[in-house]
Amino acid sequence: MSTDIQQTIQRIAEIIIDELKLEDVTPETFDPDLDLVDEVGIDSMDLATVALVLRDEYGIRIDEDDYPRLTTVKIIAEYIIEKQSENE
Amino acid sequence: MTAPKQAFKFSDIIADPKIRERWEKVRRYFFLRESTYDMTSRCNIKCDGCYYYAGEKQFATANTSPEYWRGLMESEKERGITFVVLAGAEPALVPELCQVCFDVMPLGAIATNGLKPIPREIDYQIHISVWGNDQTSLAVRKAPDMLARQMNNYKDDPRAVFVYTFTPNNIEEAAEVVKQVADQDMKITFNMFSAPVGYTGPLCHDSASLLKTREAMDALLTSYPQHVLFSKYNIVSHTHPKGLHDLFSCPYPRRNPSTDIGLGRSFRQYRTDLQWDREAACCVPDTDCDDCRHYAAGSAVVTARMYRHATDPDTFSAWLDYVDTYLAVWVRGYEKGQNLCDHFITPPPSA
Repeated sequence: MSTDIQQTIQRIAEIIIDELKLEDVTPETFDPDLDLVDEVGIDSMDLATVALVLRDEYGIRIDEDDYPRLTTVKIIAEYIIEKQSENE
Repeated sequence: MTAPKQAFKFSDIIADPKIRERWEKVRRYFFLRESTYDMTSRCNIKCDGCYYYAGEKQFATANTSPEYWRGLMESEKERGITFVVLAGAEPALVPELCQVCFDVMPLGAIATNGLKPIPREIDYQIHISVWGNDQTSLAVRKAPDMLARQMNNYKDDPRAVFVYTFTPNNIEEAAEVVKQVADQDMKITFNMFSAPVGYTGPLCHDSASLLKTREAMDALLTSYPQHVLFSKYNIVSHTHPKGLHDLFSCPYPRRNPSTDIGLGRSFRQYRTDLQWDREAACCVPDTDCDDCRHYAAGSAVVTARMYRHATDPDTFSAWLDYVDTYLAVWVRGYEKGQNLCDHFITPPPSA
């Protein structure tokens, strides 16, 4: 993985941990392939909250219709990078 | 394609102390995951336009075994459900089943006509349906002295929330009903008659009745802010010429094929035989989706669309008022705050 995506993954993990007050995990130990719904237990309102913080951080719009496919930190990172490239 | 520039960052919006306080208050309840349950096929009255007696669910063979219901609640809990809504046809007729549900699931609400008191030990929010003054209730529900009996049954009961369903024919009567409820220091919220599939009778709203209802709701909210659980944004969302699905894209399984997250993943509507059908699963099955302005639907449909409301402090405040109202209506012990937004906000388009 490139440094860009690694940094994005770590920052997303940090945001999720902060916003959802997750315990027993750090941005460094957060598995980017963990299924956020099945394995972390987040729901649509949690994801919408994270999406708003990501919007602030990265200046991108996250379509509500895209929520269902944003299932892991890695996928969210790839989504953000793709959105940013669209905006350039 | 360039993303539209956001006028406000979310962090700027919630930097306002009043907004932040309300945001922190409501987000503590984001863990709520609901499903709904028809408790019995019996009812002690027969109302025109009743949702329960539309469609196929009324013909299900009711499971009356408390142990089966306990098993269902335990399995619901296991799959992540944290809030149950006990409805159809009349849950007060099966208090032993309601008690079993409460024993397993501590958070929930019961929809009742209020004519038979539900034991206090079942500490769910109790939604008591009101369809007009007693004269109208007698005509539409064939039951005399309904409001007096409902209020007597639930006097000084903190679980009780009256739910006034507006039809085109009872708009003026709302003022006298709300006054009577407020005089007893009880709470009331508003619902909109939403046609069951195929219903074309006189209870259906049209553009004139929607506008008239909006004005009536607004006047009552202004006159009884301590007793009417509603907000300006509730009024807009439920009296808009477009229904809730058109405005906000309903996330219930019936209209949402995704099973990945949210209501599309977790929501089920169980019939009395403890079966459920994804094709029919929403909070008020057999409602015509195009006409749906139901209060129960809005509680989920509007709430789910947080992202699109986080565009500016006014719009986000309106959404917070809506969620604050929904929680006060549905969750025992949740106290509604003063509304943050004092004017009508246009529902934002999809983000």
